[in-house]
Amino acid sequence: MVRVSKAVALGVMILLPMVGHTDDKDVVEYRQHIMKSLEQQTAALGQILSGVGPAENTLAHMQTLALTASIALKSFEAKVPGGAAKPEVWKDWADFSKRMKDFADKSAEMAKIGREQGVDQAAMKVIEALPCKGCHDVYRDEKKI
Amino acid sequence: MNRSNAVSRLTWAGIAFVGTLLPISSFADDQDVRDYRSDVMKAMGEQFAALNQITKGKAPAGDVATQAEVLSITAGMAKIAFTPKVLGGEAKPEVWDKWDDFSKRLDEMVAAAADLAKTAKQGGVAAVTPKLSGLSCKGCHDDYRVQKK
Repeated sequence: MVRVSKAVALGVMILLPMVGHTDDKDVVEYRQHIMKSLEQQTAALGQILSGVGPAENTLAHMQTLALTASIALKSFEAKVPGGAAKPEVWKDWADFSKRMKDFADKSAEMAKIGREQGVDQAAMKVIEALPCKGCHDVYRDEKKI
Repeated sequence: MNRSNAVSRLTWAGIAFVGTLLPISSFADDQDVRDYRSDVMKAMGEQFAALNQITKGKAPAGDVATQAEVLSITAGMAKIAFTPKVLGGEAKPEVWDKWDDFSKRLDEMVAAAADLAKTAKQGGVAAVTPKLSGLSCKGCHDDYRVQKK
């Protein structure tokens, strides 16, 4: 009986560290959630700025984009190929991470201007703040979208 | 309007904004209304899924406050997206037939999401986990969303 108890205790000790373990599939899924959220928010903001969406949501979309951009790079830090990310993300990490930091900084600036000066001013920063295509052309596999 | 058109329009919008102010709140046509609410709801779906991963220890715990805040802000935009009575997409006609109930549930979701964001800032993942179920999407989806086949 004592041996059984010890075995169970040992088993629990071995298994415990695995609770919450992040495996490669989780890493890919999480970054996909982030990137898809960015994509939906960008599309929604695009509609608004084109005059075919509700303008009262403009600042809210700018803020969600800036917040999500602030955590996007981290979701790529684990070198886990897969999803739509090309291997170049990690091969050219210095360039990729620089672009993602610029994206985070500029989208934060856009949201700040929106809060402090109004969305009309912030809208003038939108192209600079959301350079999605430039990065996607290099680092995203369009066939895997 | 499909997604690539939406992003393309974003480019044009930026250029147009050099000389024009923000357009008056409006949807151009019914498809725009459906596209916009689809974008908002899908964004929420991604944000909720991300939070769910975090609470299960499958994504960075350090992101919890940001993700919860993003979800809260997005939830606050949902009602406007459904206000125009435009059938189609995944929304059942009951959304507008029972607008009082639907909008009440949206308001409750917004309040729950705001509470979640506040909780995430103060208590981190441990505090968020028991509250995430309060944001259950299923109850509303069962009644108001066309089931995927």
